[in-house]
Amino acid sequence: MSLRPARLLGEAGEGLRIALASLAAHRLRSFLTTLGIVIGVTTVIAIVAIVDGLDASFAAQIGNLGAHTLYVDKWQWLGTNESWWEMRNRPDVGARELAAVEREATLARAVSPSVGMRATLSAGDVTLTRIRTTGTNEANLLTGGGTIAAGRYLTATDLELARSSAVLGAEVADRLFPGVALDAVPGRRVAIDGHPFTVVGVLARRGRMLGMDLDSNAAIPFTTFLRDLGKRRSIVIAVSAAPGELERLEDQLVGILRRVRHVPPGRKDDFSINRQDQFLRLYGQLTGALYGVAIGVGFITLLVGGIGIMNIMLVSVTERTREIGLRRALGARRRTILLQFLVESSLVAALGGGLGTALGLGAALLLAQVTPLAAAATGGAVALGLGFSAAVGLLFGSWPAWRAAHLDPVEALRHE
Amino acid sequence: MTAPLITADRLTRHYVVGGELVRALDGVSFDVREGEWVAIVGQSGSGKSTLMNLLGCLDTPTAGRYVLAGTDVGTLADDALADLRNREIGFVFQTFQLLARATALANVELPLVYRGLPRRERRERAEAALRSVGLANRMHHRPNELSGGQRQRVAIARALVGEPSILLADEPTGNLDSQTGEEIVRLFADLHARGHTLILVTHEPRLAARCPRAIRLMDGRVLGDGPGGELASAGGGRVPA
Repeated sequence: MSLRPARLLGEAGEGLRIALASLAAHRLRSFLTTLGIVIGVTTVIAIVAIVDGLDASFAAQIGNLGAHTLYVDKWQWLGTNESWWEMRNRPDVGARELAAVEREATLARAVSPSVGMRATLSAGDVTLTRIRTTGTNEANLLTGGGTIAAGRYLTATDLELARSSAVLGAEVADRLFPGVALDAVPGRRVAIDGHPFTVVGVLARRGRMLGMDLDSNAAIPFTTFLRDLGKRRSIVIAVSAAPGELERLEDQLVGILRRVRHVPPGRKDDFSINRQDQFLRLYGQLTGALYGVAIGVGFITLLVGGIGIMNIMLVSVTERTREIGLRRALGARRRTILLQFLVESSLVAALGGGLGTALGLGAALLLAQVTPLAAAATGGAVALGLGFSAAVGLLFGSWPAWRAAHLDPVEALRHE
Repeated sequence: MTAPLITADRLTRHYVVGGELVRALDGVSFDVREGEWVAIVGQSGSGKSTLMNLLGCLDTPTAGRYVLAGTDVGTLADDALADLRNREIGFVFQTFQLLARATALANVELPLVYRGLPRRERRERAEAALRSVGLANRMHHRPNELSGGQRQRVAIARALVGEPSILLADEPTGNLDSQTGEEIVRLFADLHARGHTLILVTHEPRLAARCPRAIRLMDGRVLGDGPGGELASAGGGRVPA
């Protein structure tokens, strides 16, 4: 028997009409049936929207942070096999290592030491506590990323003369000098842990990354830091690579450091070369875990929702046994009956999925409004929600539909 | 002489119920020619429902041959049976079997949906069928807005709409009062006069008496085959042994 397109179209149309009529006749039942799907899809969509939003803002920010920069540090930042105790006992990174790197690192584009602490900043009546204050050099703008919004950055002369110059982050400038125009901030006086400084510049606003405020900081000359605030502590040497030279620069730095520290061959490095992409990796793990949770929760709720759909479809098949018998008597093939019930179950599920998608996106966007989290409504998320739920409807509707299609027409017509 | 529309040749249908063999139909043979109006009469348990299911291609025989409009039904697969029912048979049931949520028109269109006809043609043919049973002004009513007689007329229109070879009616007056039942019988007589082939399954000898020909069944066998009138006069409403 050939399959005429008109017949298939007519049957599909009839299936849709039956499904819509059935939904309209059992509104509450249909809603309750699909509630599991709604909850599952809402959860998944909300999490996916938030992760997608984070991705977008993270990708925009990571470029500012100096993705081509290596950080020579006593400490391994993330993902280490070393014990804290072993790292604690490493020698501090100091002027000796800085001098060696500046002298020998031929693949470096810029070298910038930094040593940091949390300091109290005050100007006039305003006092800010625990502001990240970094002693560094003029190359830091290159290694760390960032641009000047007003005034200038630190200069080689600032370093040489150990001047009391300070460059403020945008947020610090705003809060220390409320109501003062950005251009008027350079030249103002600020006290850092009681020492008088002159503001020479303000950095452009950079926003947040991984919950860290990139605008609440201050930079002063490395030399001034050691003189005025200088407790003896380990410094971090930021080294920028020329594009494409990151791996070779890392090898070069390891060689320089081992030589200057006389680490014998066969012994482990007693320092660490850190990278920004370690943050990327951590971030990847974090969002991966979030995705995992979303998939787990979504899977379980969709499973529960699917079982709900299967249950109600079995009830529906029983209720409509005589109708199925009649349709078979009038010439409906098994496939036609199968199609009819599959259309109905996937329609119920897809409606739930649509509702869940709307609710999930709404929740994510609301969350983005009231918290620092970002959210993005991507087409992928919507397609995922609708597609997944319709698939659940098909999957869990297939057994009831199969049963309906294989009813004996004689028995079905006699069914009370 | 042309070939009969229906040939039933030693039709047999056995069931196994609870480990026991039930001979619902035990070698029934007869022919039906085009344009005939035949009653199949018998008490409950006589095998007439089983015979109707076989004639309606809802069931296949255990043994024997059933040829409908040149097609040997016994050899057909499920899909082919469905298509054969759609093309050759118009069912009329005791309980009407209308879809409650659909209008009279939509109910009548249903067989044409499964035949794959385009919407416009379905609509036109369904309207014509409803007019032919006197329901021209009830097309957009739902079954619960119609009387019992009107519902059965909708069902008859649905049976007619596909222009099948035979109209197969199972106790068509069983759920109607006597006056409405009489109207339906007159409608059948009218259809017979117009040349339709009718097979009417009933346990009522009075109804069978109205048919030009009646086949009497008992215990799965043919007990008699002759003019329906003789049946009534012979038993006065009782089925003679």
